[in-house]
Amino acid sequence: MTVAADLRAIVTSSRVLDAPAELRTYAYDASFLTQLAPRPPDAVVIAASTDDVSAVMRYANARQIPVTPRGAASGQAAGAVALTGGIVLALNAMNRILEIDVANMQAFCEPGVVHAQLNAALAPHGLLFPPDPGSSRMATVGGMASTNAHGMRAVKYGPTSAWVLGLEVVLPDGQIIETGSVGSRAKQSSAGLELTKLIVGAEGTLGVVTRLRLKLMAIPPARAIVLGLFDVLENAGQAVQAVFGAGVSPSAIEILDERCIQAINLYRPGMHLPRVEALVLFEVDGNPPGVRWDAERVCEIIAPFARRTEWSDEPARINALWEARSVVGAAVGTLRPGSNRAYCGEDICVPVARIPETLRAIQEIGARHRIPIATYGHIGGGGLHPGHLIDGRDPDEIQRVLRVADDVHQLALRMGGTTTGEHGVGTARAPYMPQEHGAALDVMRRLKRALDPNGIMNPGVIFDAPPLPFELPLIGPVGEPASASIDPG
Amino acid sequence: MLACIRCGLCLTSCPTYVLSMHESEGPRGRVGMARAMAEGHLQVTTDLVEHELNCLVCDACSAVCPAGVHMDPLQVRLRSALEPEVHRAWGERLLRALVFGWLFMDMRRFRLLARMLWAYQRSGARWLARRLGLLQLLRLDVAEQLLPDVPRRFVTPRGETYAGKGASVAFFAGCVMSTALADVDRATIRVLQRAGHSVHDPRGQGCCGALHAHGGDLPRALDLARANIAAFESTDGPIVVNSAGCGAMLKDYAHHFRDDSQWSERARSFSARVKDLSEVLSPKSLPVSRPIDARHVRVVYQDACHLLHAQRISRQPRDLLRRIPGVELTEIAEAGLCCGSAGVYNLTNPVQSRQLQQRKLDNVLAADPRLVVTANPGCLLQLRGGLAERNSHVKVVHLAELLDEATMP
Repeated sequence: MTVAADLRAIVTSSRVLDAPAELRTYAYDASFLTQLAPRPPDAVVIAASTDDVSAVMRYANARQIPVTPRGAASGQAAGAVALTGGIVLALNAMNRILEIDVANMQAFCEPGVVHAQLNAALAPHGLLFPPDPGSSRMATVGGMASTNAHGMRAVKYGPTSAWVLGLEVVLPDGQIIETGSVGSRAKQSSAGLELTKLIVGAEGTLGVVTRLRLKLMAIPPARAIVLGLFDVLENAGQAVQAVFGAGVSPSAIEILDERCIQAINLYRPGMHLPRVEALVLFEVDGNPPGVRWDAERVCEIIAPFARRTEWSDEPARINALWEARSVVGAAVGTLRPGSNRAYCGEDICVPVARIPETLRAIQEIGARHRIPIATYGHIGGGGLHPGHLIDGRDPDEIQRVLRVADDVHQLALRMGGTTTGEHGVGTARAPYMPQEHGAALDVMRRLKRALDPNGIMNPGVIFDAPPLPFELPLIGPVGEPASASIDPG
Repeated sequence: MLACIRCGLCLTSCPTYVLSMHESEGPRGRVGMARAMAEGHLQVTTDLVEHELNCLVCDACSAVCPAGVHMDPLQVRLRSALEPEVHRAWGERLLRALVFGWLFMDMRRFRLLARMLWAYQRSGARWLARRLGLLQLLRLDVAEQLLPDVPRRFVTPRGETYAGKGASVAFFAGCVMSTALADVDRATIRVLQRAGHSVHDPRGQGCCGALHAHGGDLPRALDLARANIAAFESTDGPIVVNSAGCGAMLKDYAHHFRDDSQWSERARSFSARVKDLSEVLSPKSLPVSRPIDARHVRVVYQDACHLLHAQRISRQPRDLLRRIPGVELTEIAEAGLCCGSAGVYNLTNPVQSRQLQQRKLDNVLAADPRLVVTANPGCLLQLRGGLAERNSHVKVVHLAELLDEATMP
């Protein structure tokens, strides 16, 4: 009996896939690593219920078959791909919002709910789940919890972990537990070890999240956006520090470098953004008079550093700027015709005061390896996303971009930062974990072994990345080679 | 295809993914399978063919893709390459040969068939066929339900000019539009005239070839395209089209001939002239003379995928509708999700098509309109059929018909 045949006998309400082309579509996420080394699982289960998940785990644990939980697979670190084979447990179809408890400002939902759809459902109640990944339109809340995603508003509202009150988790042996006190609707608790916080960010290495209890807040009555244009990169860093120093607490602070600005102008020609070294967006929210005061104050503080500042509380302008920001990660690919964005070395976080220095160093790394890089990020929290633009058909560029990624990760650690600010370790950054955590990594290993003695949960993620056979050359029969340099646009 | 960075932004816009939550039923999976096949990492298997052919080619994914992947031309090339590998029963092969190779290639044959349908609907043969259960027997009941009542008079392009005071436009009459929906074509011509255009309807034009291209028969689609390009070279001004699906295809001629040294330039200048009716009419130039009803009429504008996604046209038709006194325009949930018509998808993939149709009807009826307006024959017939089945009083009309009524002197 094959794994798929066994699974068909035990999960009645689910779909089990094992046709070759179907398996191929579960062989990758958005990471460059899985583009080079796609790995189809042996079977996919599209789970429909917690009982399905539990039955799959009992079977897999008894047979010691690896299980990889998967949401939208919009991740960029190879965290939801069965790199050592086994079963992909797809949770995207468990996408019901089970309850919105308006009085207690909490939502109960399944892990496959897409972030934007959750907030759309909460809006009529005047409620909001504030963690906001740029990938709101595709990311699932289960994936957000598993990677402890931060996103654009973390600078004011904190990461996903701050908004998860409890979880239903299926352990590797199939047992179902509830963290954050069984049946509780309390907003806070000091009862025992915080298992919720242990599971959030564990990237599916300890168990499978099948239900989430989320904390909500009221939608702030007003928002405004301040746009600052800086001729010199370093001035943008100083402006952000000055804003923090003045006691204003923006709900988002995002930086885009010159190449990102070009990419946005290509994607949305109507925006007409000028060419400067850096563009910084500050969002402020709260009550209407306070928002106006904050916005004017931010303009006043950053004016000495900026070429130009403007602010707006027009919803259309705010939405247009945020939409442009949210797609910039993929849109930078259009800067160099024939090239792609390669998601590797894309999620470092450094001390806020060292951001301008880090941005310059990233540009130097790109120049040294002759790989164009467009960088954007959450400057308020120190998170930076360098976007490497490569011709995926050129084996030499592939080798060079892998060296760029390594240099960027080393740079982050040298600056006193981390290799992943918000996307998670996955397999892509697992090799840096010993250097990043030292002896603490052994404690993590001991916790992992205690919960998952057979090591079946998402192997290769966080701990001990497997050696991967790259599927090279990636030479398709279609398309022109990429242009030699970035379009002057 | 190479531009896809597998970010997954397309997933929630894709109708078949939304229905199945199945990665191989989404745009990222379809691009992934096509690429793996092109690079020699994946064989052509029945599951691959099935998932690729389940694509509606609605282009909702292209419209949201930040990396610039364009699904329509990808599917056209892919289906053409897969066609020899697709297993089809002999009956289906024969039908394809008749429809693609004979019927659509010459408008005289198409009009002949439409005339026969008219006779069938009027003579009592329909009544008899339905009563005797012949249609179920021949598995034609679904197709027959979707047929509109064929009008007596067709629009036959013979190079005539419908006089108007101002700038001239050329009119693309279409195959289904000029026969089964000839009343809409005539309404379109009248509206263009009233908006001050002189309308030329050149001889030699025919079907746009979209059904062929999406059905895996690119060579015949290109034959039709060449005939249309040649037919319109003697005309001036924009080439106006009132069917979203045809408009998207005509605009894509430039892409399909881009590597053809003989035709690339001619195709480029043809495609550059193609405009949807709603792009040509400016709300201000429209001589709206009367309300369509004494009372306020709540209207839902149903976005055709080939206007909204493929041509990125959503504002213009709404602006035109707002010009009509008494029209109260209202929006529906999931406006960008395909109604399941998608060319002949409702015949080739009846299960998914029906699920999407029912979902669209639920969303439309939740807005409680009296009238649904659309600008594509497929959507029009799909919604009309579905609403009739539910015994609904909501009417579905083409944008041109409503504008015709509102501008009638």
